[in-house]
Amino acid sequence: MMKQILLASSLLCLGAIATGCASTAQGIKTSAITKSVPNESLSAEIPEGGVLAVIRYPAIVDFDAKDTFHRAYAKRAIGGVPGKGVTNTIETVAVADSSIIKSNYFALSLYKELAAKLPEHGVLLSPHAVKLGPGGELTSEPMTAAEDLPAVVSVDFATYSYPDSRKMMGNYPLTFGDLVTPLVTVRTDHRASVPNQGLLLASRPLVSRAAAEGKEAALKTIDALQRGDLSPATPELDFISYITNDTPQAVATQSLTVRSDKNATIILPVEKVRIPKSEMALLEGASDGTVDPIDEIYTDALSRRIVALINGLDTDKAIMMGRAASIADFDPSLAALTFVGSDEDDYAARAAYAERLLDAQRKYLSVQSLRIFDGIHNGELGAQVRDMISAEQNILETRRTLARQQNLATALAIASVAGGVAAGSGRSQSEAERRSRSATASILTQAGIFAATEAYSKAQLSKQVGINYLNSIVPALDQQTTVTLDLLDSNETITAIRYEDLQSKLQDLYASRQRSLDTVATQCAYLEAGGAKRGTWLGVCENGLANGSGAGVLELGDEVMEYYGFAKNGYAEGPGLMIRHSSIGSLSYEGEFSQGRPNGVVRVSQPGKADATRNFVAGIDQGASSQPARSPFDGISAGTGN
Amino acid sequence: MRRAAFILSACLIGPVLGFAQVAQSQVASTTPELYGLVDAQTVAAHNQSRCIAQMAEFPTDDPTARYQFFKLVSDVAYGADDETRALFDHYGQPAVEAGTPVLSVIEDIANPVLRQAAPEIIVSSMNYLVDFSEACDVYIEGQIESLSAFDGTLTDPELNSAIAEDALFLRQILSESLSRLGADTDAAWATAAKTYSRSLVAQRDAVEFAAFETDISELETLFMEDLDGRLARSNDVINSEIDREILGDSVKLAKDLNEAAKEKARQDRLYRLLRLFGGGR
Repeated sequence: MMKQILLASSLLCLGAIATGCASTAQGIKTSAITKSVPNESLSAEIPEGGVLAVIRYPAIVDFDAKDTFHRAYAKRAIGGVPGKGVTNTIETVAVADSSIIKSNYFALSLYKELAAKLPEHGVLLSPHAVKLGPGGELTSEPMTAAEDLPAVVSVDFATYSYPDSRKMMGNYPLTFGDLVTPLVTVRTDHRASVPNQGLLLASRPLVSRAAAEGKEAALKTIDALQRGDLSPATPELDFISYITNDTPQAVATQSLTVRSDKNATIILPVEKVRIPKSEMALLEGASDGTVDPIDEIYTDALSRRIVALINGLDTDKAIMMGRAASIADFDPSLAALTFVGSDEDDYAARAAYAERLLDAQRKYLSVQSLRIFDGIHNGELGAQVRDMISAEQNILETRRTLARQQNLATALAIASVAGGVAAGSGRSQSEAERRSRSATASILTQAGIFAATEAYSKAQLSKQVGINYLNSIVPALDQQTTVTLDLLDSNETITAIRYEDLQSKLQDLYASRQRSLDTVATQCAYLEAGGAKRGTWLGVCENGLANGSGAGVLELGDEVMEYYGFAKNGYAEGPGLMIRHSSIGSLSYEGEFSQGRPNGVVRVSQPGKADATRNFVAGIDQGASSQPARSPFDGISAGTGN
Repeated sequence: MRRAAFILSACLIGPVLGFAQVAQSQVASTTPELYGLVDAQTVAAHNQSRCIAQMAEFPTDDPTARYQFFKLVSDVAYGADDETRALFDHYGQPAVEAGTPVLSVIEDIANPVLRQAAPEIIVSSMNYLVDFSEACDVYIEGQIESLSAFDGTLTDPELNSAIAEDALFLRQILSESLSRLGADTDAAWATAAKTYSRSLVAQRDAVEFAAFETDISELETLFMEDLDGRLARSNDVINSEIDREILGDSVKLAKDLNEAAKEKARQDRLYRLLRLFGGGR
């Protein structure tokens, strides 16, 4: 008897392993991001000359870049076996294109939520076109001028689906029907958060590439500064950077929290979040944009976290380079002075004009963002995307039903085979009984085989349903892509023509009104402590050397150093912010400097550690200090550094 | 001179009538606040009879002229702290006789002959104006508030910028007069004179910035409304051109394919069943 039980158990296990249990792709009801959500209202105002947030997302793929994009998307799948890609097929192409359309749609939900929590004109949309770079490499570029203005934070948002449609019902990331898998990064300028390269929060797979993008952007702006150019670098989308599989960069990380207390990047898990049935019911036939399926389950919480992250930043420090670059377009002699400001009347008056001019540009561009939102989310295109999500939901439910049927058939198969084995191997007392047992065993075994075939058939049908949908939906995806492109192109063209005109008029107004500056920013030498190396200084100069406020950059062997604050006779002197980038990471010193070295109370920021206030003498750390460090950005009294 | 003519023409409109109505509530929106220059707030005094006497001959039949007058007087007091008041007292001798109507004091300041020949009279006249503005600020601001409520066009930024420029002009006359009297080289008063000069620069910046702000606001409104309208129309056109059939056709095709797949699966199952029970034949 024991032998029979063991045999039946073995067959049960074998059957379970062979047919498997089909997933019904349920997703999770509650994202980690919605747990312990900070409920902070914004403590900062919109910084002069900038915006609080810009939302970047993949909106379209250039025709020339489609093939490269589809291949890269398939090759660098998130959630699969590391290093093992997916074969590029028609379904993969449909999944990739669908991800772009969904990103385009769901990013607007984040825009809506963030705009509701930030002051008017505080957030801009920056749709990106995925395209080929000069060397044929895949990259992305902003389609509008939104990123020309400095932002305290930039948020990359995309939704993702695993490229292999056959695995749609497994535990792979999916954005289909009532399932959404968001990918997010939140970054600020590296000067406002040095040790983590400005990367404040990121979905786990994107972290190392996003950190690398942050560092590359930092090094590009330093390189530009050395040429006297203040233009900041605009990094490509972190998702595009991920699928192109460029060199990663290590960065200190920590699990989800409101704000990092140790200069680390906060990690978001990749989650397949399920939209509640009540929300899905509203989608069907919803003709306007009042229906938003993901605000309650994701974007409301994400936007609250973004507000909390902004609250933890020095907003002026976050936009100082971008603001200087914008001002340099129409007033180069003022631009480098704006890093730390001045208490001179002439400077204050002129800076007020410049900031008001940037403010006008910000308001103007925010109209464009509002209309992009309106045109896509509230228009026919948005209605089509909602209809498409409903159609996907029908497919998903069909596949869920098939999966349940498959599971039932699998269970029946296992039970039948086990019963047949048990019946066939029993000891019989008589010939009649033996015949009866044999017949029962045969029937049960045949039923088991049939049920197993049925399970296999349901699995195949489920996959075919998914493939049929993805093949059929291609024309609709093409149309939605075309309409998105038309809407964005039209918005940008109209805006750009008028924006150019507006900028010209604003600059005329500026030139005719603003007063002259007694002290102007120029370019001269900035010296390393000891004077061995000479770098570039943009700011107040005297006798060819840094003398006053401004910014300096230096290359020191493997290290690159940047400095913002006050200088004397070429050396950092007075309050300043010094940032050092090396192969092992970036760190900053903010406080008093003398002869190019930290000297006095200085706040030190390092990766993976909380900020520490230390006492320095001639560049040598003497231990902890209980005094607060001075900042060059605190106010104008900093001018005493001269 | 042209500015002075504007000031006088604004003040001399209408017959002379007694000042009968004073607002009871203090008004917060002053020109210094408007320009963010709030460090020299005047202190209210509730000397009703004195204020009414000094306001004699104010224009009364034209709200615009009346508004210009009160606003001008209010703006003239900007930058007058205790130190500068002492400076005015020192150089503004003899002082203007108490009870002199404000209008005649302004006429004296605007008189080019007096400005050249007797700068001390200019200083004393301006001192009198500042004193009046400080002592009667409650009434002045009340009038400004009432007139603004009566006629909304009085808050027009251009009009207020013009008035602020006139006030600045009067203050510049005062500063020049002080200079001619030697205040900026007098060790005892040089600091106060320079402080007052700096406040003039700050006010000049504020006035000019207000004008810039007005111009830029107009540009903003014009461009933003224009852009908004254009984008809305463009969006509507593009959205209306969407072929609504394509998605429906795609979904229907998928449905048909799925039905066919289900049918095929049913047939396959039947075939398997037959094979199973038919012994594989």
